[in-house]
Amino acid sequence: MKLTVPLFPSTEWFEAVMDVFNSDELKTTAGGGTCDAVVGIISGESLFQLKFEDIECVSVDVLENEDQLGMTDFYIELHPDDWKDMLENIKENGAATLEYTLNTVDLETPEGIARSWVEDQYRQDLFFRYNQTFQYFFDASSKVMTSFTEE
Amino acid sequence: MTIDKSDRSEKLERTRRRVENRRRDAIAKRVAEDEDLEIPSASLEWMKRTLQWGVKADVTESGLKLDALNIGIYGEIPDKWEDQSRMPRGAYPMPGVPPIGYGIREKRDLWADNAADLYEEAIQRRWAPATDIQWDSIEPLNDDVEASVCQLCTMLCQHANTEIETLGSWLHQMSYGYHEVKLFLASEMYDAARHYEVFRKRALSNGGGLGIELRGDVKRMILESRGGWSETALLLYILRGIFTLTIYRYGEMFAHNTAERTIFAGAIQDKARHLSYGFEHLRYAVVHQEDKALVFKNLLGIGERIFLREISQPVVLEPLAVIFGGGVEGAPEGMKTVHEMMRKFVQHYLSALSWIGIDRSDSLASGLSAYISEK
Repeated sequence: MKLTVPLFPSTEWFEAVMDVFNSDELKTTAGGGTCDAVVGIISGESLFQLKFEDIECVSVDVLENEDQLGMTDFYIELHPDDWKDMLENIKENGAATLEYTLNTVDLETPEGIARSWVEDQYRQDLFFRYNQTFQYFFDASSKVMTSFTEE
Repeated sequence: MTIDKSDRSEKLERTRRRVENRRRDAIAKRVAEDEDLEIPSASLEWMKRTLQWGVKADVTESGLKLDALNIGIYGEIPDKWEDQSRMPRGAYPMPGVPPIGYGIREKRDLWADNAADLYEEAIQRRWAPATDIQWDSIEPLNDDVEASVCQLCTMLCQHANTEIETLGSWLHQMSYGYHEVKLFLASEMYDAARHYEVFRKRALSNGGGLGIELRGDVKRMILESRGGWSETALLLYILRGIFTLTIYRYGEMFAHNTAERTIFAGAIQDKARHLSYGFEHLRYAVVHQEDKALVFKNLLGIGERIFLREISQPVVLEPLAVIFGGGVEGAPEGMKTVHEMMRKFVQHYLSALSWIGIDRSDSLASGLSAYISEK
């Protein structure tokens, strides 16, 4: 397990979180388990794609442009400052407190943070169907040292 | 004293042989005395009766999945299932089995391509309220908030028992040609039972009690819908289901403790899975039947009015306003959050209908459109 990951967002950071997530059995306990989804991540100009298969996150890829978000089931978009607030909250508490769960942040954002690039409601609803798995993923970042870019 | 182990073992073996011989003698004597007892010789005729032999389904890293069994003739899912017995799909038919009388035998009336996967998902992602909820995290709340939480739980119990009864009244009508759907809906009934259980437990775990019964206009509409499973599914999943999911989501956001947070988080995932079947089936029904979209649109015109009548009862939205506002005093502020919740619900509702192939943006009941036109 890597102990230091310098930058969010970066491939290195997501891979470090992926390692922690994949080795943590919590994700398969009550309410967790199989998750098949392709999730886009937007932070400022940075675009990533996370692929979940069975009980693991199997890949992290950089997306070249926004059109490639059409390949994802849905994407999560947050302002870099909001990502920072969420991840710092997770770091401080070991897991997101209620104010910073994906569900809460989505509800508190007028148009939501989880959206479908091709307005496919069925695929967008995977955000709810596997919500705890995605939450476990970001909660796993509590075990990864993180630094942030200055926007 | 030294015990000779080999000697003791030999004695034990002799005793065993003696007992076994006596047992065989006793059986032989009983058979000889019973003149009516006939032991037929084995015909083994059944052994050759199979429509396809030599099948070996693929096992993946995540195990042997239901969908992986759909190979050869076992994967042939006809548009109409003629058999009227409980014969599993692909089994060798036995002549002369009296018909059961399944009413739903056409694929278009129940099918969803995702049913097998959703069934596996339901089994994998299950949770147990008795042991997976941190019940000891619940601490006393102010009376007004506790009363509101209990009232909400009472309503959610009714949402769940409506789902149980609805599925129960349709499941036995669905033929075994489409076992993927039957299995998934069986898991959904179990999920709904879990929701009934968990919300009842929450209501009765913190010094409160169950609240007032919801009159249940929507419940009756769903339960008494007899036009077809697809029509019932439209009301169950789209009108009621999305509303329930939206409440669950706000329930998690305003959870007072780890227990409530875990309850709602689990319920969100379950409900979203149920909706996935509903969306997929309803789209399948619309694609495979010429006027289905119009039928659905007309039905929703009635359904929306009944839904609005139900939510106009103070017992539906007022408890949520108290919870969101942190008490009776904050309820007016909490009602703003209720409106925001309803806006999210209506947006999700319209978007889901659009995915299915139904456009209600121009005919939405005014009571609902008000939520999305408000600034």
